[in-house]
Parts: sequence; C-alpha cells; structure tokens
Amino acid sequence: MPVPILKQGDCLIASIQSALTDADLLDLRDELAERVGRYRSKGVIIDVTVLDVLDSFASRTLRTMAEMIRLRGAETVIVGIQPEVAFSMVQLGLSLDGVTTVLDLEEGLAHLDRSRRARVAHAGG
Amino acid sequence: MAVTRPRVDADALADAIGLGPEELAMRKGFLEFGDDDVHRLHAMYELTHEHVDVVIEAFYEHLMSFPETAAFFRDPRLLEHVKGRQKEYFIRLTQGDYEQEYVTDRLRLGSIHERIGLPVRSFLGMYAFYLRQIASLLLEEHPGEPGRAFEAFHSLTKLLFFDIGLGVDIYIYQRERTIALQQEAIRELSTPVLTLRDRLLVLPIIGILDTSRAQKLTEGLLRSIRESRAKVVILDVTGVPAVDSAVANHLLQTVEASRLMGAQVIVTGLSSSVAQSLVTLGVDLTKLNAVGDLQGGIEVANEIMGYRIVAIDDGTPEVVDARSDPQAG
Amino acid sequence: MPVDDVCVVIRSDADVVAARSMGRSLAERYGFGTTDVTMIATAISELARNILKYAHEGEIVLETVERDSRGGVSVVARDDGPGIADVGLAMQDGFSTADSLGLGLPGTRRLMDEFEIVSSPGSGTVITAIKWLR
Repeated sequence: MPVPILKQGDCLIASIQSALTDADLLDLRDELAERVGRYRSKGVIIDVTVLDVLDSFASRTLRTMAEMIRLRGAETVIVGIQPEVAFSMVQLGLSLDGVTTVLDLEEGLAHLDRSRRARVAHAGG
Repeated sequence: MAVTRPRVDADALADAIGLGPEELAMRKGFLEFGDDDVHRLHAMYELTHEHVDVVIEAFYEHLMSFPETAAFFRDPRLLEHVKGRQKEYFIRLTQGDYEQEYVTDRLRLGSIHERIGLPVRSFLGMYAFYLRQIASLLLEEHPGEPGRAFEAFHSLTKLLFFDIGLGVDIYIYQRERTIALQQEAIRELSTPVLTLRDRLLVLPIIGILDTSRAQKLTEGLLRSIRESRAKVVILDVTGVPAVDSAVANHLLQTVEASRLMGAQVIVTGLSSSVAQSLVTLGVDLTKLNAVGDLQGGIEVANEIMGYRIVAIDDGTPEVVDARSDPQAG
Repeated sequence: MPVDDVCVVIRSDADVVAARSMGRSLAERYGFGTTDVTMIATAISELARNILKYAHEGEIVLETVERDSRGGVSVVARDDGPGIADVGLAMQDGFSTADSLGLGLPGTRRLMDEFEIVSSPGSGTVITAIKWLR
C-alpha cells in the first residue's frame, strides 16, 4: 500500500496511513530518496501518528531513510510517535539516535522552517 | 493517613488469610487439639447454656468498668449487638463442631472488634475473663473431681488459643490491608504532572520508584506531553531516596521516550550522592541534562524555549518571549 | 471472559503484521490498557521477525492464560530453525540498543512479564512470553 507523499514548497510530507509491511517501508524509503533528488527538497517529514507499533525493523529503516535523505541534501523529521509506541520503543532499546523526532506535523513544519531560516541567514551572512 | 478500607465478606476472609482445611488441621495438631478435647467441650454444653446470660453480663460489666474498653461500647445498639454475638460465641465454644463454619464465625466476630478499633490487649483480656469464669463454673460442676475439671478446662484452653490465633490473624490481615491502601494512596498522590507554563511541564517524583510505578509515571508523562504539546519537561527527583540501576534505567527511559515525542527533559534535584551513584552505575549524566535544583531547571527551560524574564517598570517580573521581544539581545 | 485463542503461521513479512494485529485485538478484548497492548504487539512483532530471519518459517500462538486468579496473554513463538547456541549470551543485557544486531531478546523480555526460552542447536526454538493484567 503506497504512502501518500505531498510536496509543500521545498518539503516533502509522507503521511503513513496504516500498518506497513516491511516491503511497504522499503518502498517508501526508495520513493522518498528518489523524490528528494528529483525536487531538490530540503526537508522531509515522515508522519507515523497512525503506526501502532514501531519495532526494530521499522526503527532501523527510519534511520536508514534519514541517512539516505541526508546524503541527498535534505533533513528528515519524524513526527507523531504516540506515547504507547515511544514507551515500547525504549523498553525494547530502540532510540532513533541521530534522527530528529518531534510531536506532530505542526512542530515538524516549524522545525523545518527554523532550519530554512538558519540556512538563509547563513547564506546571506 | 485516612483511607477507606472496603469491607471484606467474612466468608471471603478465611480464603484471604489462607485459613483452609489444611491450615486449620495443622493448627489443631500443633495445639494437640483432638477428638478427646471435642468430647470434653461438648460435655460442657449444658453448663454453658445454663450460665451464658450471667457470664456475658458479668463480662460486659467488667469491660465497661474500664474507661479504655468502655469507650468502644458507648453506642447502646452496638453493645446489644456484640452482647448477642458474645452469647452465641460462648455457647458455640461447647457445641462440639470446630470446622470451617466455626472459623468463619470467629473471623466475623474478630472483624467487628478490629473495625471498631478495639486494641489487641483488650480482646486478649476478654479471653482471660472467659477462662476465669468458666474455671469457677467447672469446679462447681465437678465437686471433688478437680482432675476432671482440670481436663475439661485444659480442652477449653486449647480451643481458646485456637480462637485467639484466628483473632490475631484478623488484626494482622486488616492492618496489612490498610498499609497497602495507604501506600497506594501515597503513590497516586506523588505523581502529578504540573503545567508550569504553556508547553512546560514539571513532574516531581516522590518516594520509591518501583517498576510498576515507574511505568505509570512515564505513561502519564508521555500522555501529558501529547496533551499539552510540551517542549520541555522538568523531572524533579529531590524526593527519590534511593537510586539503583533499575531507577537509573527508568529515568533514562523516561528521558528517551520524551525525546521521541519531541520534548526535552531536564532532571533536577539530583543530590551529589545520588549523582555519584549514577556515575558509578555508568549512567551518562549529560544524557539526563541534570541541573542542581528546580529553579536552575526552570532557567535552563527558559533558555531552551527562548524566554527571558524581564522586570517591567513597576518591579514585577514578566516572562517575555525573547524571540519576539525587540529588546532581547 | 471467553476470548479466541489464535495461531498465526509466520512465512512472510505480511504474517508479521497479521500476528501483531491479532495480538493487539486479543489483548484489547482481554482488557489490557493501551500501553500494555502496544507492548504485547511490539513483542510479537520482534519474535515473529526473529522466526523469519533465522528459521524462515514458524508459528506464533496467542492464548489467554490464568494463574492464581490473575489473567493474562501468552505469546508462544515456535520454529524448527537452527536454534540458539548460547541462550544465556543471547539474553545478556546491557540495555544496549536492539535495533542493530542480534535477536533483540533482552529488549523483548522487558516488554513482557514472564519470558522463557527453550532452544538448542538443531532442535529449534520455543519462546514463551506472558503479560499479566495489572
């Protein structure tokens, strides 16, 4: 089941709608990598609000996604990890180290906004 | 601390305390209470029936003559009620059947006394009174046969020790239930998540942090983070007396889970000895973003959130969003 | 509380999702709170994944259990795979991240209340994990 990916300015927003199989997750990874390259996006938001379980495979794959996206010049923000999922993840020992995680879509966009302004300031300065 | 303790049905009490047929048989064996005793007691049935009213009246007269015990029976209805029960009890002592139903009866009576708060020494004193009364009755009943009177008395003594055991069990059981309820109440009290300011939460942790409590705490915090869209959480551990590796891990997990939800955690109130324990346990204190006290923690939170406290003209400090304040440096 | 017991064959990653979702619905119907439900589903996911990765095929049996007037859910992950050579080592815990190497068993154990492994090289593996209602 493909995950809808929206383009919003120089950001991409991938909104996961339902439980994903491993294959779906890997497809998403490849799809995002491709589109970041094609649109020269600067930011990617992956919304996992709907996911009721984030296991070791999902966690590993999200980190890989973030790395691949970074190599293509964009930043990844994971949004919407739910309390029960966050709790289970830390019990399991998964930390998503090195990946930016924020509360929700609003925060995700705000974060990418700040990054953009920092880039502009840096470029202008 | 006052807690309401729900009543346990007398029939359920025997189960709750673990007084099944095996346990009872073991206790009787230990007291060497056997069939001979049962027969001797049953032989006293007529005697007790004849004298029950007199004995019970004397008994309560004795109780009421001491202010300490009289205090428990001020309510005339309660007094009549317990007198009635004591009469039944007295007669029951010699009925000749001391199995599960007898036990349930004892437990019920013991429950009433415990619930009204009668001290253990008082109810032990009551048994002593019974023994005295019956001893004199037995000597009258078997004139010239003190040996026989003594045997009967001895059987009764065994039974009363059996009963005292049950009474003490009730007291201990109910005390333990009260303690457990109080501990639960303390636990509930000690984990409120406070909203200090928009998107800034404070969670003061007080008391022992066992796994079950730590889980409830973390779950509650994570839900609060979602509800209030918190960006910063101050976890104050001033009130946590002991930090072992389990507690250290609960803390780390709470910090990490909060981060996954986009909230930064500042841990305050780590005493130097607790900090030392954590370091010895191999915990990276920088991961905890540890700050000495709550005040310091709030200052760090302000910095993170981009706030500054500014004194305005009349001397009242005001919290300002440093990013929107043109005066902010 | 009569609740269906379930057996899910694990042969593909779609089965991992199915086992998870069966576990979730069993736990929910049995009365577990949302956090515990998620913990059970996550544990099932990890166990099912291990089956796929090391044995390629196996099964997950989900049942409700009762002991000493406590109720709970039991997850049994069974396979005829290569087995675990050193169970002690596999269960060793340093609270390290489980998302890189190995079986992730210590982490999975933390999600549940009781955890037992029966395994040896050539004899397959049976892992039984139980979570009790709080």
